[in-house]
Amino acid sequence: MIASVLPAISPGTLLAAAVTSTAASLWLLLPRGQIGAAERRSRWLGGLLGLAALGCFIATGHRLGGLGEETVFLIVSLVAVISGAATVVTRSPVYSAIWFAMALAGVAGVLLVLGAQFLGVATIVVYAGAILVMFLFVLMLAAPAGLAPYDRVSNEPLLSAVAGAVLLGILSLSIGRLTAEPPLCCRMPSKAAAITGDAAPATGLPAVADMSVDLLAENHVARLGGELFGRHLIAVEVAGVLLLVALVGSIAIVSRAASADGTVAPARRAVP
Amino acid sequence: MTPSPLVLDGLVVGAILFALGLVGILARRNLIVMFLCAELMLQGISVSLVSWSRHHGDWGGHVLVIFVLAVAACEAAVALVFVLQAFARTGRLDSAAWQSLRESNLPRTIDHELPAIDTMPLRFPKLFPAGVEPPVDQDALLEREHV
Repeated sequence: MIASVLPAISPGTLLAAAVTSTAASLWLLLPRGQIGAAERRSRWLGGLLGLAALGCFIATGHRLGGLGEETVFLIVSLVAVISGAATVVTRSPVYSAIWFAMALAGVAGVLLVLGAQFLGVATIVVYAGAILVMFLFVLMLAAPAGLAPYDRVSNEPLLSAVAGAVLLGILSLSIGRLTAEPPLCCRMPSKAAAITGDAAPATGLPAVADMSVDLLAENHVARLGGELFGRHLIAVEVAGVLLLVALVGSIAIVSRAASADGTVAPARRAVP
Repeated sequence: MTPSPLVLDGLVVGAILFALGLVGILARRNLIVMFLCAELMLQGISVSLVSWSRHHGDWGGHVLVIFVLAVAACEAAVALVFVLQAFARTGRLDSAAWQSLRESNLPRTIDHELPAIDTMPLRFPKLFPAGVEPPVDQDALLEREHV
């Protein structure tokens, strides 16, 4: 659609434009100690440039890999990306956390579209339900009233924005290169072909659609649980131990620091 | 085997989220916001892993994302404790409050004087006090705009 409107521009030019405007918009949006009309103007300009960068990315991706095929995917990924950008550039940390919750909703949608139903739900439950609430608790405990001066400035906003945009450009380029067909000599042997003993490299490959159907089939969570507690049982045990250690460790740090300070009563008390 | 367009789109979204989180880590100075940006990077990684899992048609990516969730929960618990301790010592959630830990050849972060935020004065609707006749401009009564 957009790519057909702009047939004259090569994908490389579009990608370069997208990367440049990403850097410029992030630099404009990051807090740089301005106030009033100048800050508002730079925020508006940065937002518009960011939208232009997103449009360039959509147009490029249509050429590079076919972005815009799934409308739902487009919408949820736009929610995720725009809210993620707002998380990074919002001045107030509380609003930043709220935007992060929005980005989590977008990411959960992306995961659902990609066929990871359990992970989409688990992202909402674990991140938005537990981790984000913990962040908000700490913000309520620690954040000063009003906008702190360190929230209104950034470390090297120009260099950071350029670094992020360059990384994004490199990653997109390497993702775009995935669509190029590798020469026949260097093709990776397919796992399915290896299992079935099918030696023919070109004909024995199962189609991508078949394997994604395998992930999307019924009993998704049951089969994921079977995989998790079958092949990865020891890793699950280690993760459980890690959670326990983190719990005990954080309590120990808090109680030791509090008693060493002398200001707070020691947490360890005699238990009858 | 060329990845399907959906897989490529998922990879691009993951890359964008990762880069955004990187910019936040590098640029922001609030410790909690830096942390949120680290979580944003983890979200980008999760999207990429699930995309690759879909591409290859196995469960490895899904299982890895579950472990990423578990480790992120641990990381948030421990690091928020550290953030709270740092706040208790310095009274600020500022990463530059710990700049005495920097390398000796690096310049010091100096906060310039920021312009004050002009708080907008509260504007109330102008109401005439009840029971009092508003003053009448006699000159305006003599003028006639339309003939």
